[in-house]
Amino acid sequence: MLWVDKHRPKTLDKVIVHEQVAQNLKKFVAEQDCPHLLFYGPPGSGKKTLIMALIKQMFGAGVEKVKMENKTWKIDTGTRTFDLELAMLSSSHHVEMNPSDAGFQDRYVVQEVIKEMAKSRPIDAKGKRAFKVLVLNEVDKLSREAQHSLRRTMEKYSASCRLILCCNSSSKVTEAVRSRCLNVRVNAPTEDQIVQVLEFIGKKENLQLPFGFAARIAAQSNRNLRRAILFFETCKVQQYPFSANQVAPPLDWEQYVSEIATEILSEQSPKRLYSVRQKFYELLVNCIPPESILKKLLTELMKKLDSDLKHEVCHWAAHYEHKMRLGSKAIFHLEAFVAKFMSIYKEFLCAAFG
Amino acid sequence: MGKRPPLVVLSSSSDDDGGGGRCTASRGPSTRRTRTPATAPPAKQAPSSSRKKPRRGSSGGRGRRRASGIALSGSLKDEFDMLTEDFSECLNDLGVSGSMRQTEELWIDKYKPLSSGELAVHKKKVEDVKNWLEEKLKAPKGTFGGRSLVLTGQAGVGKSATVKAIAAEIGADLCEWTTPVPTLWAELVHANSELEYVSKLEEFENFVNKIRKYSLLSPTSIGSQRKLIIILIDDIPVTSGKASFARLGKCLTGLIQSTQIPTVISLTHHHKNEANDTATWNTEELESLLQGAGAHKIVFNPVTVSSIKKILLRICKQESSGTTEELVHQIATSCGGDIRHAIMSLQYYCLNPRRLDSALAISASLSELKGHATLAPAQDCYGLGSVIHSPCGRDETLTLFHALGKFLHNKRETHGDVNIDLDSFSFKEQLRRNPLKMDVPEMILSQAHGEVRTVADFLHENVVDFIDDDAVDDAWVVMSYLSEADCLLAGSPIASARWTVNESNESENMSQLIAASVAARGVLFGNAHPSPSRWHTIRSPKVWQIERTFRSTKGLILKERFDPSSTSGSRNFSVVVTDFRPFERWISPHNDMTRNNPSRHDVAGGPNSIDMLDAEGNNSEEEEEDEIEEW
Repeated sequence: MLWVDKHRPKTLDKVIVHEQVAQNLKKFVAEQDCPHLLFYGPPGSGKKTLIMALIKQMFGAGVEKVKMENKTWKIDTGTRTFDLELAMLSSSHHVEMNPSDAGFQDRYVVQEVIKEMAKSRPIDAKGKRAFKVLVLNEVDKLSREAQHSLRRTMEKYSASCRLILCCNSSSKVTEAVRSRCLNVRVNAPTEDQIVQVLEFIGKKENLQLPFGFAARIAAQSNRNLRRAILFFETCKVQQYPFSANQVAPPLDWEQYVSEIATEILSEQSPKRLYSVRQKFYELLVNCIPPESILKKLLTELMKKLDSDLKHEVCHWAAHYEHKMRLGSKAIFHLEAFVAKFMSIYKEFLCAAFG
Repeated sequence: MGKRPPLVVLSSSSDDDGGGGRCTASRGPSTRRTRTPATAPPAKQAPSSSRKKPRRGSSGGRGRRRASGIALSGSLKDEFDMLTEDFSECLNDLGVSGSMRQTEELWIDKYKPLSSGELAVHKKKVEDVKNWLEEKLKAPKGTFGGRSLVLTGQAGVGKSATVKAIAAEIGADLCEWTTPVPTLWAELVHANSELEYVSKLEEFENFVNKIRKYSLLSPTSIGSQRKLIIILIDDIPVTSGKASFARLGKCLTGLIQSTQIPTVISLTHHHKNEANDTATWNTEELESLLQGAGAHKIVFNPVTVSSIKKILLRICKQESSGTTEELVHQIATSCGGDIRHAIMSLQYYCLNPRRLDSALAISASLSELKGHATLAPAQDCYGLGSVIHSPCGRDETLTLFHALGKFLHNKRETHGDVNIDLDSFSFKEQLRRNPLKMDVPEMILSQAHGEVRTVADFLHENVVDFIDDDAVDDAWVVMSYLSEADCLLAGSPIASARWTVNESNESENMSQLIAASVAARGVLFGNAHPSPSRWHTIRSPKVWQIERTFRSTKGLILKERFDPSSTSGSRNFSVVVTDFRPFERWISPHNDMTRNNPSRHDVAGGPNSIDMLDAEGNNSEEEEEDEIEEW
C-alpha cells in the first residue's frame, strides 16, 4: 500500500492539515445529517481525505466495505435508448463515481444515478439516517448540461440523498449548483504543514530524517501534499538511510514539459512549432491533461522570461486555457499559445538584441 | 416479362420509323435516309422489341416514354405542390402545357445532330473518328483485332452523338448494347422461378459473346451489298469489387482482340472529384486496359463555349424563343462544356420567361458578391476562366485535397495593391492581402463536401509547412484562427449532435459553416508570407491517431483506477495520470502485478514510448494512403 493511502487520516480527529475544517465537519457527525457539500481546492490538498473521514464517522465502518462495480445504465432519452457503462464504488451508505468519465453523456448519468438512489432509499430500523451519500468527483469537468440537470435533481431528491461534490476549481461549477451546497474550501497546505505531515509519517515508519530533508521535499512538491508524500516514498525506495542532500527525481512528464520550454526558447519558427506539436502529442497520448501541460509550460517559461513579458504571456496562457475549455481539441489551443509565445518572444529578442 | 434478346439491330432509318410521324416537321427533311430501304424490314419485323430497346437511338421511343412520364407526373403533382411555387409553375409548363406537342419533346432529341456538320465537337475530332471508322469499315475481313476505338471524355461532350451522326452519314448500321431492364429483387422474390436474376455484367458478357461468335447476323445474307455495321458500346456495366472488374476487363479485351466489326466503346470520364467511389468505377484503369488490348483512343475535350453558344443560338432561332444573348452566354459558360446540359438548361429557361430574368438577376448579384469578397472589384469573371455558378450551371466539385491545396498554397495576385485602393474603405497596411486567385473560400468548401472537422484537422496538420520559416507571427495568426474554429465546432459537438437529433440542427449547421469559414479564411489570411511553393505532401492529421491512442490508454487507466487498497475511494483521473503513474515507476507496488503490465508505456522519457510512437507513425503513413483513397 502506498504511504499516501496507508497514512491517510481515517477520522476527522486525526486530520493534521485542515484542523479547522475538520472541526466544523464534526458538527455534522453530531447532527447525523448534512447539507449538500461542495469541496473545492487545489489537487493534493486533502479534499477526498476529509470527505472519506466525514462519511466514515457518520456511518461507521460499514462505509469501508466498498465494492466496485461497472454498472450499466439504461438511458432513455425519449428519442432513443442506449446503454451507458460507468464504474462506481458503493457501500450500503454511499456511492462514489466520476460522472465526467462518461464524457458528453454525463448528464444522463447524473440524473439516472440519483433517481435510482432515490428509489432504493435505505430505511433504518429507527427511521433515522434515511439517506445515502453520493460522492461525485471532478464536478468541474461536468458539462454545462450535466450541471444543470444536477441542479434540478439535487432539489427533487434532496430528501433521500446528500450530494458531496468535489472539484478543483469552484469557478467551473455553475452558480446554481454552488448556491445549493455548503461550500468548503480546502486550501493547499503550507510547506510547514507538509513538513509536519512528513515528519509524522517518518516517525510512523521509523525513519531517520536528516535536517532539512522534509523541507526540501515540501518545496519540491509545490504545496501538493499527495505529491510530497509520494516524493518521500520515492526517496525511501531509492536510498535509505537518506543522504543529506538527496532530492527526489522530478516527474517525468514535468521534465518533458520543461524540455519543451527550452526548445521553445531556443528557436522560434514554424518548423520548431511543428516539432513542439509532436512533443505535445506524446504527452497527450499518455493522457496528461492539457490544462496541466499548459500550466506547467507556463511556469517553466516564466522562469526564464524577462519580467516585461510576463504579464502578456500570462494573459495569453489564460486566454488559451479558456479556449481549450470551450473547444474540443486541446492541441489546437496549446499550439496557438506556443505560437503566440514564440511571436512575442521573437519580437522581444529582436528589439533587445537587434 | 420475359427476357428480351440482348441484341438489337437498330438501323439508322428505324429512327424515322419510330419518330418520323411526329418529328419530321421539326427536323430538316433528310433525303438520305429514305435511300436505305433495305434495313427497314428487320426493324418492322420486330417493332415492339426495337421500340422498347433503343435508348438514345429512337426519338419515338423516347417520346413514348415521356408520355407515360407525364401521366405519372400528373398523379404526383399534388405532392409537388408542396414545393416552391416556382417549381410547380415550371412543372406545369413542362407537363400540363405539354399538350402542345411541339414543346413537349426534349430539345436534346429534337435537335440531335444529324450530320457531322451539326456537331458541336471540334471538327478535327469528328474527322478523326470518321476517318477511323471509314478505314476500318473498308478494311478486308478476316483480320482480327485493331478494330476498336475508345472514346473518352466528360459527360455530355457528344461522344455517342458523334458516332451516331457519322454512322448515319456513311450509311452504316449501329448496333448497340442496350441496358436490359433489371430484374428487381422484389420481383425475383415474389415472382415464380421463371425469372432468373441476371446481373448486368452477365448480360453484357452474353452480348459480347454473341457478337463475337455470330459476327453480327452475318450481314451478307441480307443482300449482295455488304452492310456496314458499327458496334457502339455506350453503357458499360458498373462493376464493384476487383473480381467483377476483372471479369469485365476480360470480356472487353476479348472483344477488342477478336472483333471483326468496328467497335466503338464510349467511356464517360467522371470528373475527378466524383471518383469518391474509386473502387467501384475506375475509368482510368479500364481505359488503360482497353488501350493495352489494342484499342485506339480518341479523347473528347469539353465542348468550347463558342460552339455551345452557336448551337444554342441556332436552337433559339428555330424555336423563335426570345432569349437574350446574355442568357445564352450564361448557359454556355456555366455548363462546363456539357452540351447536353446546356441544351437542357436552355429549354428549361425558355419554358417560363419570367425565370430568365430572375436567373440573370441572381447570377449578377452572385458575381457582384464575389467581387467584393475577394477584394477584387469588378473582377472579370469570364476572363479568369472560372465557372460562374449561376442557377443554370452545373455544380463543379472538388476533391477535399484539391480544396486543401488551394487553401494551403494560398495563391494570390501579385499586383493587387492598386486595386485595393479603389475599394471603399482602406485597411491598415498589415491587414492588407492581395486578392485571392481562387473562388470564395466558402464556395470551395461547399464544393469539397468535406466535413468541417476534417477540413480543420487537415489544415491544422499541414499549414505549418506552408508558412515561411521566419514568419512566426503568421503562424500565430493561423493558429489562433484554427483555435477559434475549434471552439465554434465544439459549440456544436458533432458527437452530441448525433444524440440529440431533435434539437436545433440548424443553428449547429450554421456554426459548422462559420467554423469552416473561419478556419479556411484564417489560414488564407494568416499566411501572409507563404513559403516558396514547392512540393508538399499533405499528411493525414495525426490528431486522429493521437486521439485514438488517447482513448485506449485512458480506458486502460480507468480500468485499473479503482485500487481496492486505496483508502480514498476512487482517484481522480487527472491525479492518477499526473501523480500516481509517474511515481509508480520508482515505487514498485508490492500488491499487484497488473501494474507492471507491459502494454503500458511510461510517459515521455522511456524508450518504450518513443518506439511505440514510431511504430504508430509508420502506421499513420499507411493510413494516410488509405484515407486519400477514401476521400
